[in-house]
Amino acid sequence: MRRFLTICALALVASSASAQLPGLRKRGAPTQPVLQGIDALRADFLTRSGSDTVYFGNGSAGLGPPTIATLQAQAAWLRQHPEVVVRIEGAGDPGDTRDHALAMGARRAEEVRDYLVLLGVPAAQVTTTTWGNERPGTPRSVTVLVK
Amino acid sequence: MIPATRRIALLLAGACLGGAVHAQTPPSGAATVVAVPPLSTPDDKRTSAGQTLSIAWQASRLIADDLRTTSEVMPLPPSQKDYYSYPEVTAPTFSRWRSVGAKMLVTGFVQARSDGRVTFGCYVYDVDKGREVGRKGFVVAPEEWRRAAHKCSGLAYTAVTGAPGIFDSRIVYVAQSGSGTAKVERISIVDSDGTNQRFLTNGEAQVLSPRLSPKAARVTYVSYVGGKPQVRMMDSATGTEQLLAPGDAISFAPRFSPDGTRILFSMMLGPNSDIYVVGAGGGMPQRLTTSPGVDTDASFSPDGTKIVFESDRGGSQQLYVMNADGSNERRLTFGGGWYASPEWSPDGEWIAFTRRGSDGRRIGIIKTDGTGEHVLTTGPGDESPSWAPSSRELIFQRDIAGISNLYRVSLDGSQPRSVSVPQGGSDPDWSGVMD
Repeated sequence: MRRFLTICALALVASSASAQLPGLRKRGAPTQPVLQGIDALRADFLTRSGSDTVYFGNGSAGLGPPTIATLQAQAAWLRQHPEVVVRIEGAGDPGDTRDHALAMGARRAEEVRDYLVLLGVPAAQVTTTTWGNERPGTPRSVTVLVK
Repeated sequence: MIPATRRIALLLAGACLGGAVHAQTPPSGAATVVAVPPLSTPDDKRTSAGQTLSIAWQASRLIADDLRTTSEVMPLPPSQKDYYSYPEVTAPTFSRWRSVGAKMLVTGFVQARSDGRVTFGCYVYDVDKGREVGRKGFVVAPEEWRRAAHKCSGLAYTAVTGAPGIFDSRIVYVAQSGSGTAKVERISIVDSDGTNQRFLTNGEAQVLSPRLSPKAARVTYVSYVGGKPQVRMMDSATGTEQLLAPGDAISFAPRFSPDGTRILFSMMLGPNSDIYVVGAGGGMPQRLTTSPGVDTDASFSPDGTKIVFESDRGGSQQLYVMNADGSNERRLTFGGGWYASPEWSPDGEWIAFTRRGSDGRRIGIIKTDGTGEHVLTTGPGDESPSWAPSSRELIFQRDIAGISNLYRVSLDGSQPRSVSVPQGGSDPDWSGVMD
């Protein structure tokens, strides 16, 4: 319940934030239907960052050049949206055993978190979790989810 | 307490499933034939769970079903024509059982008591030598006859193998229903014959890795109820539960110490997963490993002095052994491939593991000095081995086409057999024998 309220509060902030984005409102033109709330924020985050998901090598938590470029764009967006909280979700390697996969997912999520914080994103803005191999989805990845 | 009617229904289900398992048992030449004629009763009296003769018949069936789930024992199931009188319980006709090839004989009786309970007597004989090799008596509520029968099965199993009986024990696992995004996972506890299922969580939060205390009174497990995996501790009778350790960190892979007083688990500190120990009642955890990388899946030796765990500190997942205080770490596995999810056997002789290679994941065992390694299953989707109280077989999870089910495999090289539980499941843990 408390989480739901938080999301609603974010959604209110979100609608005003997206309303100020250039290009979304044209002076004098009829008001366009725009995405509201959390969906608008997520869409904008995706557009500006290029992707909400970054990928890793087999058994690795190292950040490669494409990953770093995406994270830099994500960090820039997050610095502009200090009111937005994101959850960083790590995934394991296919075929790995349960607990090692959980740890690898957590490790990848932590590496992403540390890099975003290094780039100036306040630590309070990011939380981490891991799915290991417990959910169908993209293996060897970290997804930054706008909450 | 489960109503008697439901218990009977569960029994019938169990009996049917037992038959299915029977077809997969190895050639009978490898197994000891044990005769299980119908238990007797001195006086067919009414109890709160039915007539004593009826309980005796059902108990005989259950004993045969129990023994049939093992690869070491081949029971001759009870037949009404073999019914013997009460005095014959302690004076069986051995020649009759010799002639049908039985090496062991189980007899017993169920007798109503004036206080409403029943006395359950159980005798095991060596047929060739014509002498008694074990006896046990229990006074139980009539509704508890299943546990008494499981104890009797255990007496026969111990007479054949020398190992503790495994039938009066419990299995906890993650029961799965639905699929894809509609998948519901709940911690489920069952008797080791698959009956008496109870759900311990409601399915709202994803759950992992349930582990039982030695007598199954408590369950430690991992829940996503707070949005990230964290170890929790639950009283399995009352459902009361709490976070195991204070704080916000991701934690996983819990396991009880053999005496039930401590919990080993893994916790993230930044990008590192390390092994910690904490009292089963909670408190501040003590950190046991410090290497960079992933240290996880720790398991105590039965005397509590050593810990086996997996670590990728050397570049690949391998098993390591250390003292219970974290000192004197040494690598155990050098066989190539990756080794994970070790569990120390209750008799202290073996360490079971999941071995991961190009041919998938398989279950194997290795001696505690690093010798005697062999793989028991063909994979390719096997993991999470957990020892039976006998130390002679393992229960594990097998994934086929994305569906997980429970299997058990003996150390004697026989084929793994499907474990009949009410729902498909993963991540099994087998308790010790109940008192």
